This record gives sequence, structure tokens and C-alpha cells, in this order.
Amino acid sequence: MTTEKKEPMFELRGITKSYPGVVALDAVDFVVSPNEIIGLVGENGAGKSTLMKILIGLVQPDAGTLTLRGRSVTLKDPADAMRYGIGMVFQDGSLVPNLSIMENLFLCHEIGFRKFGFLSRRAMRETARGMLERVMVSEDQDTRIAEVTPAVRQMVEIARLLWLSRLYGQANPILILDEPTTVLTEGERDTLFAILQSIKKEASIILISHRLQEVVENSDRIVILKDGRNVTEMPASGAQITDIEQQMVGHAFTADRYLEDEQIVPDDEEKVLEVQGLAKRGAFEPISFFVRKGEIVSLVGLVGSGKEEVCRCVNGLAKADAGTVILGGKKLTPGSPSDAVASGQGHIPIDRRSEGLALGMTVAENVNLLVLARLRSGLLVSPARERNNATQWIEECRIKTPSAGTLCANLSGGNQQKTVIAKWLSSQVKLLVLDHPTRGVDVGAKDDIYRLVRKLARQGIGMLVMCDTLEEDLGLGNRMLVMKDGRLVGELDCPPKRKPSPKDVIGLIV
Amino acid sequence: MTGLREKVEGGKRAGGRIRIMLPLGTAGAWLRRAGVSGQILSLIIVIAIFAIGTRGRFLSPANLQVILSLAAIPTIIAVGVHQVVVLGGIDLSVEGVVALCVVFVGLLLRNKFNANDVGLWILPITLGLGGVAGFVSGICNTKLRIPSFIGTLGMSWILWGLAVFVSRGQTVALLDTRFQELVTGTVFGIPLIALIALALVVFLQIIQDRTRFGRYLYAIGGDEVLARQAGVNVTRIKIVVFTLAGFFYGLAALFLSTRLGSSQAITGNNLLFPAVTAVAVGGVALTGGIGGAKNAALGALIVTALNDGLILLNVNPYAQEAVNGVVLVAAVALTIDRRKLGFIK
Repeated sequence: MTTEKKEPMFELRGITKSYPGVVALDAVDFVVSPNEIIGLVGENGAGKSTLMKILIGLVQPDAGTLTLRGRSVTLKDPADAMRYGIGMVFQDGSLVPNLSIMENLFLCHEIGFRKFGFLSRRAMRETARGMLERVMVSEDQDTRIAEVTPAVRQMVEIARLLWLSRLYGQANPILILDEPTTVLTEGERDTLFAILQSIKKEASIILISHRLQEVVENSDRIVILKDGRNVTEMPASGAQITDIEQQMVGHAFTADRYLEDEQIVPDDEEKVLEVQGLAKRGAFEPISFFVRKGEIVSLVGLVGSGKEEVCRCVNGLAKADAGTVILGGKKLTPGSPSDAVASGQGHIPIDRRSEGLALGMTVAENVNLLVLARLRSGLLVSPARERNNATQWIEECRIKTPSAGTLCANLSGGNQQKTVIAKWLSSQVKLLVLDHPTRGVDVGAKDDIYRLVRKLARQGIGMLVMCDTLEEDLGLGNRMLVMKDGRLVGELDCPPKRKPSPKDVIGLIV
Repeated sequence: MTGLREKVEGGKRAGGRIRIMLPLGTAGAWLRRAGVSGQILSLIIVIAIFAIGTRGRFLSPANLQVILSLAAIPTIIAVGVHQVVVLGGIDLSVEGVVALCVVFVGLLLRNKFNANDVGLWILPITLGLGGVAGFVSGICNTKLRIPSFIGTLGMSWILWGLAVFVSRGQTVALLDTRFQELVTGTVFGIPLIALIALALVVFLQIIQDRTRFGRYLYAIGGDEVLARQAGVNVTRIKIVVFTLAGFFYGLAALFLSTRLGSSQAITGNNLLFPAVTAVAVGGVALTGGIGGAKNAALGALIVTALNDGLILLNVNPYAQEAVNGVVLVAAVALTIDRRKLGFIK
């Protein structure tokens, strides 16, 4: 962070945007200086995405001024914004999967490569090589986008934005990255930030992320939005995460973030899950463990430690080579997710959009999906019982939805996650596998999810969790299993108020 | 950077396209990239089986000539259909468009029925007629937003009805034999019509590989929403593709009727199935975005060679039709990109 005052590159003043019924942005100011990384944080619905949509011309503000490089501008659409050197890497990605890396880089801007009416591959390849080197992509340019990792896709998108701004002769482009790290492994995340730091020499970057740790570590300045207003901004150096969280939510957190007071002491006798000698070649060595009734067991380890595969074998999505999984006294058929569900196992997947929820169905339909047999009257499902069941769980799980008949696709990430949990709660499962339950969920909704997890435990549901952060794993769990290189290397007790510190655990993990 | 190099997890790739690896070094690499290795292998297998089964009769120059000349028209039609498939749609209007074009060839070329004689102008007229039909299909699909499956099926029946109505169901004998000579002629023993088809395939393949139109065609087939976001004029490309398909059908109609020396609406019948089979066998993914003109042409060649071989082996004609059905379903099972399909409707 340089102390000298930089001339602003792009200045937004008094930006106001309202939609029917909501004021998304209320006189927000936002300034981008050259060569800086801005961390933009706020809860879901704080107005971050509306602000970004205004920045790239997707949405027009009702009031306010945009001043770019000293001149007042209006951005008609994203293509127009790109001509001014402003581009965004979207969460879902905007590359066409069946085209190659090179073809995607120049899509719709090939005109400069035309020779006698045909596109010159050699010229394209040359330019592409230069652009890809800057973002450290070493893949063959002819590889189809569908075949590369999300990390490479992101880099290609960044390269495309850099190239386009060069094409339009814009020095110091503004790159907006929306939750870039959710799809990345830890190593890839480090690479991304290393690249961003090097790109910073010639561009400004706006980083939107729910992971405050990485925002603090990698940005120069942090801007916090709440309820469509500027709350504050601060230099990132020396910023405290707890302080940022308080500003985002608007109130202080209790010291007992993970509700350790509510952590129950599980009954020693009753084991809901018993895993004996489970093994899968190439993924993990024989492993045995158990989960008691009402117990939360967190499974930790680096990517590649085998913890994900263990969970997949437990819930039947993958087939283990050896060993048994016993759920509530019944041996599960290996590799059969339907047997696992029928025996009382629930699974909250990491990617709730593709696996956990039917987005095209309503909240009520999703909540009732697994218990339709219980909601019957006679041979048919009773609409009244369906409605009652849904309303009960919507209230209980504090799902913020206009009505039980709202499509899940229209809910925020946190509320979608609560709907998934409600579905399992209502179906009276014995064991829940929670795969990163708070990923991509804002701070407020996280607290609701922690509360729900405790409630599940009180009902006697055993849980196997894999969390986003070590703190979360420690805070939620009764017990922690540590995996490394496909082996179970440690088991720690996490009694309330006497939890091990992350420092104690990290040595085992790496 | 090892992290970036890791390929997508195995789980996500399971059920993807089946790749046939050939141990041919750079030639193998080229074939893989071109996406026709499986098709060339299938063609070789088909040829080998029939060569053995017919004790070499299948490979006689006369029979090879027959295969090439029979494959030409299905190729021309398949090449028209496949671009719509690459877009992610389907064009079922072939039979109707061909029927109408054939009827107009009969009525406008010198014939035994009326006094018309447009001479060589018949070429632009039939192409134009086919093109207009394709254009209308394109408008239906893009402006009226009717799924291509329904829009083109309807178009096929409309044009078929029109063709029968205009021709009153009669057969018209043609007197102008210039096109017939063109269609049946040979150059160095190779049927001229096969060379024409080949030229069209090469021309279209270059367009697909080396122009912006081609790039946008595949971008739309890969992901229409993203292509639109990137700035592709999706509507225009789609209309152009449907119109081009119409041109190809028109040309096929001209060749079909002049080869027969007569014109009747029924000439259009039974063209759709071989064309769709050729497209699928050639490796054009029905989910869109994959496969080019060379694939459609190879597919047509494989299907034609297969049928020719079955005839040489005196296989019962009904059994031949069943074999064609099996080939179609098997080809789709092998080439479809299941990653793109959440479920099958």
C-alpha cells in the first residue's frame, strides 16, 4: 500500500439504483485508482453485484455520475464497458466449452487476424502465446475449454480481458473478479493471487469474495457495503477480519460464534455410522472410524488427502474397494446412493446448485421431496399436509423466501443451503454428510447454518462435516479426524471451551 | 503451476466422448484433433468386412464407382443438415424441400408436360427455392422462437403438400439431358457428382475452420448464451445456417430429378433418415458444437458403403433397414457428449 494519494482512474459518485420494492444501491461512492486491488465485501444483497453490473454497463444507475479517466461516461452495455477497458470474470465463467483456448481468447474480435478473408492461425497463435504467458497458462492452445480446470478457464478469461483492453488501446484496464477462488484448490488460489499481483502493475482489480482472509491478504484497500450503502473502507494492511465481519453484518458477534455452549455430549453407546477398513485404491488406505448419535465429526485434510473420496464412499457416490459402511446397524450396499438414502443418510453437497436442489422446483416441493410418503392421505399426496410440512420447516430453518411456492432458483445462496438442510431435517435422517456447508454463503446466513447444525445434533443426528476453514471445523466438531496422503493420521477431541487451536492441528495436516 | 495443469477430475469426464487413440504419431495427432479418427476407422472396418465377405467384389472398380456416385447426394444433404445439428438444433425439412424443388425442376426444365424451358437457369432457381424454404425455417426458429424440431417438421409437411398440389401427383418426364450427363459423367473414372460433393465439403470445411462465421457457428453450438454474451449475432448465424441447408437440399433435388430423368414429388421420400444417420455416424454431436462438413461426408460414405455391401451380400432388404436403425442408435450412443445432457427428454 503506497501512502501517496493516487489520481483516481474511475470514480462513481452518488450511485443510486432501485428495483421495484428495493433500493439496491443508495448514493454509493466507489473509486478505483490505478494499479490497486480493491477488495469489495458485503453480505449477499448488500448491493455488490448491482454495483458491479453498473460498472460493466449491464445495469444503468437511476442517479449518480461515472467519471472515467477524468471524463464523464455512460456505459451502454458490457461491450461498451469493454471498449473503455472494464471487464468482468463471472462466477459461472463466460467461455464457450467446445472451442479451444485460443478460439475463446479472440471470440468475436477476430477481425484483426484476417488475411484474404480467412483467419490467420499463425498470427492468432503468436498473440495468444504472449497473452497466455502473462497469466501462466501452459496448456496447449488447441485444448478445448471443456477439458481444462476451472483455474485455467479463469486465467484464460483474464487473458481475454487484458487482450481486449489492449485491442481498444486502454491502458490500465479494470478487471472485476467475482468470487474467483470458490472453484480453486489451495495451490491454484496462490497462483491466482501471484498472477493478480503481477497484473496489478498495469491494471486495477476489483476482487469480490466471501473469504475475508484472502481479501485482507491480497488487496490494497477494502470497501464494505451494507444494505446498498457505503459502510466504510480501510487499507487492507492491518485490517482485522472480525472487525470487517462486524461492519458487514452491522452488529458484533458473540464470542461463541460456533455455539459451543450448545454442543452436546454424545451418548457413548449408540453409533449411527461405523466405517470399518474402508479402502479405495489410489484414493485412501484402509480407514476405520465411527460417528455417534448427535455427534459432529469433522474430517480435515488438504485437497488430495482423500477426505472427499472417503465421504463419497460413505454416501455411496463412489464404490470402495474394500471395507464396510454400517449405518444404524445396517450394512450399506457399496456404491449405491439410493441404499444410503433409504437407510437414513443425508448428503449436503458442495455444489448445491447441481446436486442438492431442484432449482426449477419450489421451496415447498424441495422440502417435501423425500417425505412424500408421509404426506399422503389415502393414495394421493395431500396438498394441505404438504403445505403444513413446508411452512413448518421454512419457519424452523429461517428460510427467507417470499412464499413456500417460490422457485429455489430465485433464492440467495444461503437460503438455498437452508432449504437443502430443511429437506434432510424433515426426512428424519440418522446421518448427514455436510460437504462445505457454508461455502459461498454470506456471514449472516452462516450463523443460521451453524445454529441449524447444532439443532440437528440435538435431534440425535450424527454428522460428518468438511468445512471451508479450520476454525469452522474445530468450532463445530465434537471430534476431528485428520487425514493426510490417504491415511488417517490423527484424532482430536474438541470439547466445548477447550478446543485445540488451529496451530495444533495444522502440523498434522501438512 | 502444477495445480493449473491438472485436468478436470476423472468423475466429470466419465461418460464423455469416446476417443479412439491411433498409434500413428503426428498423423494420429492430426486425426484426433480433426475429430474423424473414429469415422475413418469405422470406414476401414466396413470396407474390410465386405471385402472379405464378398471375396473382393466389394473392392472392384465398378463397385467403388457405384458407392461414390450413390454417396454423393446423401453427402450433399447431410452436409446441409449437419450445420443445423452443430447449432444444437435439427432440420427435418429435407424431404419437403426436396419434393417441392423436384416438382419445380420438372415444371420449369424442358419437359413433356408444358412448354417451359428455363435451361441452365434451373440451377439458381432450385437453389433459390431451397434457400427460401431454409430461410423461412430459420425465421420460424429465431424470430417466432419455435423449436427447430417442430418448425422444420411442419415445414416438411407444408412443402410436401404444396409439391403434390402443384404437380397434381403426376410424374413429369424431363427432356433436357444436360444435367443428366453431368450427374452420370465421370472424370478419370471418378463420378463427377462425387467430385462436386467433395468440392462442396472441402469448401464448407474451410469456411468452418477459417472464418468468423465458422467460429461463431461452433460458439453457438457450444453455449448459445455465452456466445451471445461474447457478441455473436446468434439470430443472423442461425438464419444463414438454415438457408445454407436449403441451398444444399435444392442442389440435391436438382441432381436427384435429373438423374432419374423425371420429376415427381415422391422423389423426396426416404431422404431424411439416411441424412440424419450420416450426420450421427460421422460424429456430429446431436448436442451441438462438435463435428464439421468432413464428418457429415464421412458419415454419408460409411452409410452408403454399408448399404452397398449388404446388397452385394444379398441381405434381405428389410433386414438392411433394421441394420440402418441399429447403426443410427449405436452411432449416437458412441458420439453423444453426455456431459452436456443432465437428463434425456
